Amino acid sequence: MDFSHILEKKCEVNKMNKEKIGLALGIMCAVLVFGIIVQIKTINSTNPTYSSSNTVNNLRDEVLKEKEKYDNRYEELEKAEKELEKERESSTGNNGELTSVEEQIKEGNKLLGLTEVSGEGIIVTLKDNTAQVTNSLLDASDLVVHDMDVLSVINELKNAGAEAISINDQRIVTTTGIVCDGNVIQINGQKVGAPFEIKAIGLSEQLAALSRPGGYLSILQEYGIGTELVKSKNITIPKYSGSINFKYVHNQ
Amino acid sequence: MIYLGIILGSLLGVVIGVNAPIISYTYSSYLAIAIIAALDSVFGGISSVLKKNFDLKIFLSGFFCNAILSILLTYLGQKLNVDIYLAAIVVFVGRMFTNLTIIRRYYVEKWSKKVQEVNKK
Repeated sequence: MDFSHILEKKCEVNKMNKEKIGLALGIMCAVLVFGIIVQIKTINSTNPTYSSSNTVNNLRDEVLKEKEKYDNRYEELEKAEKELEKERESSTGNNGELTSVEEQIKEGNKLLGLTEVSGEGIIVTLKDNTAQVTNSLLDASDLVVHDMDVLSVINELKNAGAEAISINDQRIVTTTGIVCDGNVIQINGQKVGAPFEIKAIGLSEQLAALSRPGGYLSILQEYGIGTELVKSKNITIPKYSGSINFKYVHNQ
Repeated sequence: MIYLGIILGSLLGVVIGVNAPIISYTYSSYLAIAIIAALDSVFGGISSVLKKNFDLKIFLSGFFCNAILSILLTYLGQKLNVDIYLAAIVVFVGRMFTNLTIIRRYYVEKWSKKVQEVNKK
């Protein structure tokens, strides 16, 4: 290629035009850099682990997309529920019988765990032991919080009169199962990982007895599990996000 | 002047980008292809400035047409389960290298001419 003709026409572009060109290219660069930074932020926030395998990446993409869809649908559902609530209130507002039924429904939902509740209670945090396994005498399994530990804490809290319990915002309801799922645990079918923040609403002095000497928390502490118990006057526990469908029980 | 514009534009983009919210993961593949299209446009713009045939209308319409076509291709590819966006990336990156060659040749020739003139004196 011969580029000498380019050099000959070197001084043809006047100053004005150059400013315009600079502006256009500048705006384009701003858009470009803006896009790159937004993209990097998005990728970092959603896909922190790098995998060279194409299949794994595709599967992860699928999962993320499905999760996003689920979240969007869930938001829609919540909106619809709020509307329903409003409609109900406005339509039952001037009818005494319906209002009492409405109250009953609310009361029932509260007991079932289908509404967000708040009140006094405690927050227990369980953290994995951060120590490294350096010799064969230590068992790595002793360093982590297991499903059984969480289950025992929940059991003790229920025994102490807790009225509403959540683990990392997963509400404990009548159908909740707490099971081991590899290095995380599954609650309500959702994967939940350490640290576990267990919120319980009830008489806080009574619930705080969980940390008594010889209690379950002290056993965990012996294993080096980080435990923290905070009393609070105002704890908010989210509602159960799934649906409770009973097929086999019938009223007698 | 042109490079000043590019640098200032980039800095502005950084400032806006850092403060911008993240986008939904579903659309990140479309944004990625739009980024490649914009990068291609910038390189194309610089090389056309050096070739003295820069036209704002061609520059802007080129960017939008390329970006829209490549985004549509990405969408079609997802529907057909073929990675068509790879073709767009190959074309864009290929053009980027061509434009880079033009830019490089321009500056190397300018520099060697200067050296010759200095040697004559």
